[in-house]
Amino acid sequence: MSGLTFQLKTAPAERLDLSPLTPSKLANMALTEMLGTVIGSTKRRLTVGDVFTVSGQPGDTVTIAGGTERLDFIGGGLDKGTLIVEGNAGICAGRGMSGGRLEIRGSAGPWLGASLKGGLISVKGSAGGHVGGWRAGESFGMIGGTVVIDGDAGARVGDRMRRGTIIIKGRCGTYAGSRMLGGTILAEQGFGAKPGVLLRRGTLIGSTAEEMLPTYADSGKHDLAILNILSKYLADSLGPLAPAPIPSTVRKFAGDLAAIGKGEILLTA
Amino acid sequence: MMARAITVDDTFAEAFTMAATGVVITADSEKWARQAAITMSGFGTSVIGCGAEVGIDRELSPSETPDGRPGVRVLLFGFSSDALLPQLKNRVGQCVLTSPGSACYAGVESDTKIALGSGPRFFGDGYQSAKTLGKTRYWRVPVMDGEFIIEETTGVVSDAVGGGNLLILGSDRAGLLRTTEAAVAAISAVPDVITPFPGGIVRSGSKVGSKYDGMVASTNDAYCPTLRGTVKSELGPDVVAVLEIVIDGLTPKSVADAMRTGLSTVLQVGPAEGVTRVSAGNYGGKLGQHHYKLQELLP
Repeated sequence: MSGLTFQLKTAPAERLDLSPLTPSKLANMALTEMLGTVIGSTKRRLTVGDVFTVSGQPGDTVTIAGGTERLDFIGGGLDKGTLIVEGNAGICAGRGMSGGRLEIRGSAGPWLGASLKGGLISVKGSAGGHVGGWRAGESFGMIGGTVVIDGDAGARVGDRMRRGTIIIKGRCGTYAGSRMLGGTILAEQGFGAKPGVLLRRGTLIGSTAEEMLPTYADSGKHDLAILNILSKYLADSLGPLAPAPIPSTVRKFAGDLAAIGKGEILLTA
Repeated sequence: MMARAITVDDTFAEAFTMAATGVVITADSEKWARQAAITMSGFGTSVIGCGAEVGIDRELSPSETPDGRPGVRVLLFGFSSDALLPQLKNRVGQCVLTSPGSACYAGVESDTKIALGSGPRFFGDGYQSAKTLGKTRYWRVPVMDGEFIIEETTGVVSDAVGGGNLLILGSDRAGLLRTTEAAVAAISAVPDVITPFPGGIVRSGSKVGSKYDGMVASTNDAYCPTLRGTVKSELGPDVVAVLEIVIDGLTPKSVADAMRTGLSTVLQVGPAEGVTRVSAGNYGGKLGQHHYKLQELLP
């Protein structure tokens, strides 16, 4: 596995835009050009060479060592290859990704996987709010791909999400799946208050919900084969990252009836 | 050539290139998956009159199916993928959707797809919903026992083979039937093939054409024992009955494997059951693209 490693010299004094550091964008870049790439967010125009020491050769992997929450847009536009973050990531990690794999070995800030189109994002720690959400000017949140978070996630996970899968092995914050148009969110340790507000289509699956909206109809307990399919798909596609198999017997709540009501919240407990 | 007291004719089975598709049907139990598959396979013996040749390929363990339940794979063969489309839609809609606890998934892998759930989903009357996982789209259609799950598309291939066959001749009709049943049972273990006729056996082999207008096929008089003496018969004096096994397969090799397995079983079981000869049906080799020589299939 060939690749480049970007070792952070010291904690940056400003927020950085690391979206230029993907295997595709770096593939044909000379070292001098690479070091001169501007990644700063202020008039100081910090470059890669100001912030990182670079080692290795361009290949299918990029490693960012020494990640902090000031490293924003990591993996932005990633289309293939693997990007590893040893440490934390800032806002909008994996924004607009269409393929490849983004592996964050720490925690991630808000808008993780915003407008994700494809590929896999995994986070060892927790993530902020708006995971898989939308970015300004776009109609939808994520429209494909998979996000796996080992820890917890903040509020409004999957806001305006249309397609794809978000797996949170911990607990989800408030308003999960708000304005959702499709896709699946699985929160193994349950949802915070008012999941699925104004959700049109899509599926929220969790052990419990802290507070259900009154605009969801209790459809009773059901044995749903689609959950077997989902469990098997996740096991096959994610391997060791896969969550525990989802119980096929769940309590179904249909809603949000304040919108078109074609979505569902499935509670396993 | 004589093999184990049975004459194996120096001839060949002539088979044709066909289109084929397939589905995997699952249910809460093996019994109900099989029931749906049997129902879907009904009236699917020959493209001549049924529109498609349909049969069960094999049973699938829960670990082999998308939803982890027992399943059965059904294959459909037709003249073209366009001809298969209405057959698939009607058979799934009437025979699988209606069967308790059933679900229906793609049963053939191919880059070329054919609609599977895009018709039956409308049974949901607007209450159906879709779930896309990876590149696969499933439809969830609410029904009276829960949900009917159906995949949006299945694969279709245009280089399948239809019409592999064995003609089994004997001097004892009951023994001949037992032998042919044993051959069909053995063939059922060969993957990617079906034997679409009742119980896998045909007693009314046909020839092309008829003396009557509008009949595209008629009885194979040369192999009818009761016509011996009145037509140019292919049967010796000891033959009282002939049964045929017709085999369709997804690949030329699968049909050859099935014929080899069937022939081997007949040669093992047949001598004690009055089987005297094995032959194969062909049209002189000018119509079919695939020729399976019996001598090359001997064990």
